[in-house]
Amino acid sequence: MVRGLGELESTIMDRMWSYRRPASVRDVLEDLRREREIAYTTVMTVMDKLHTKGLLTREAVGKAYIYRPVSSKEAYTADLMRESLARSGNQAATLVHFLERLTPEEADALEAALKVYPPRGRA
Amino acid sequence: MTVAAVLAAGLTIYAVVAVVALPRLLGRASWTGRAPRLGIMVWQAACVSVVVSVLSAVFVLAVPAPVVGHGLAELFAQCAEVLADGPGLTAATALAGVGVAGALMARLAWCAAAVLAGARAERRRHAEALALLGRHDGALDAIVVDFDERLAYCVPGRQGKAVITTAALRELSPDETAAVLAHERAHLRGRHHLVLAFGEAFARAFPGMPLFERGRAELARLVELLADDLAARRHPRVLIASALVRLATGRAPAFTLGAGGESALARVRRLLAPAPPLGRGERVTGALAVGLLLAGPAVTGLAPGLTSLLAHHCLDFLSF
Repeated sequence: MVRGLGELESTIMDRMWSYRRPASVRDVLEDLRREREIAYTTVMTVMDKLHTKGLLTREAVGKAYIYRPVSSKEAYTADLMRESLARSGNQAATLVHFLERLTPEEADALEAALKVYPPRGRA
Repeated sequence: MTVAAVLAAGLTIYAVVAVVALPRLLGRASWTGRAPRLGIMVWQAACVSVVVSVLSAVFVLAVPAPVVGHGLAELFAQCAEVLADGPGLTAATALAGVGVAGALMARLAWCAAAVLAGARAERRRHAEALALLGRHDGALDAIVVDFDERLAYCVPGRQGKAVITTAALRELSPDETAAVLAHERAHLRGRHHLVLAFGEAFARAFPGMPLFERGRAELARLVELLADDLAARRHPRVLIASALVRLATGRAPAFTLGAGGESALARVRRLLAPAPPLGRGERVTGALAVGLLLAGPAVTGLAPGLTSLLAHHCLDFLSF
């Protein structure tokens, strides 16, 4: 069931990112109901959780909340990659490879080295 | 007592010399690149040997040999006596020694636990975010993330995952992608994050020590070479090399790491022109070195006690 909730979080975040405008639980519910049976309380719980996790911000409008993603999907992705890959301290967390930045001279040297051995399947 | 003092001095001198000399000796050795797995074992054994030799030195000094000879019960009795009798000269030395050993072990254990726990927390957070941002590609058996930088990496752990960005997929041919992901899966399968955690724990526990600083860097380097070699069993080396070049070029400055391009360059050259693997003789020598590093200090530390133990029981046997 935990896995199911995780999936739902992912689905709801994708919807929220795709709207590009604030949305209420009711809006998301109606959107999701076009594809599946789902209870209002389930959507509300998940969106509340996403708010707690800091992914959605919300403001009260009348009796309900209006939700909005804290940052765009692109910005969130960039943050995640930067934070986890450029962190200096703990190498054991994510093994990062192919991440060294080459100077143009080094890149040229490597390209030259590769031309001697052209990989099969590439023109 | 004199024998114990000599042994303890020897073990301490070994520890001090090893901390300074071993990183120079091992760091200059080019064979580690030809046998990364053996290289990893030698570096780890070197780190362990220094700590064990300090512990052994303390043990030799603190525990009189005849006590070991009479078995564990008496060892504890002697310890209790030492603790109860209060400050005699030997008791004080013993206590100081045991204190040093305890502090050493506690620090190492604490740092290892901190490294592992920190890594796990970071991985969990990362995996959670990946669940929102990425999608699992069944054909690649990897998580694909929409991102403009060419990246490939893995998130180790019980459900380890290889991750690749859409920019990387655009840049690489299907064969190159498969080679890169084979490299990542080699890391996951070999649980290489534990090797890195090992190096990190020692370097963090005893900062400024050349052996541990160098060891951490070398372990990180050798783990990459090992994964390259494992990937090369199923994929042409030249494809791994070309994938590496394509991923390492054209990167935004925000992603600069301290390492610079040196290791990428070295890896590509190594992939394109591999040195022959070590011969049988060299491998046996390496394995013996590992054994010596691991067992040497401990055996030296236990030698007086063991001798005494043997003597004691032989006497029993003879009088019977």
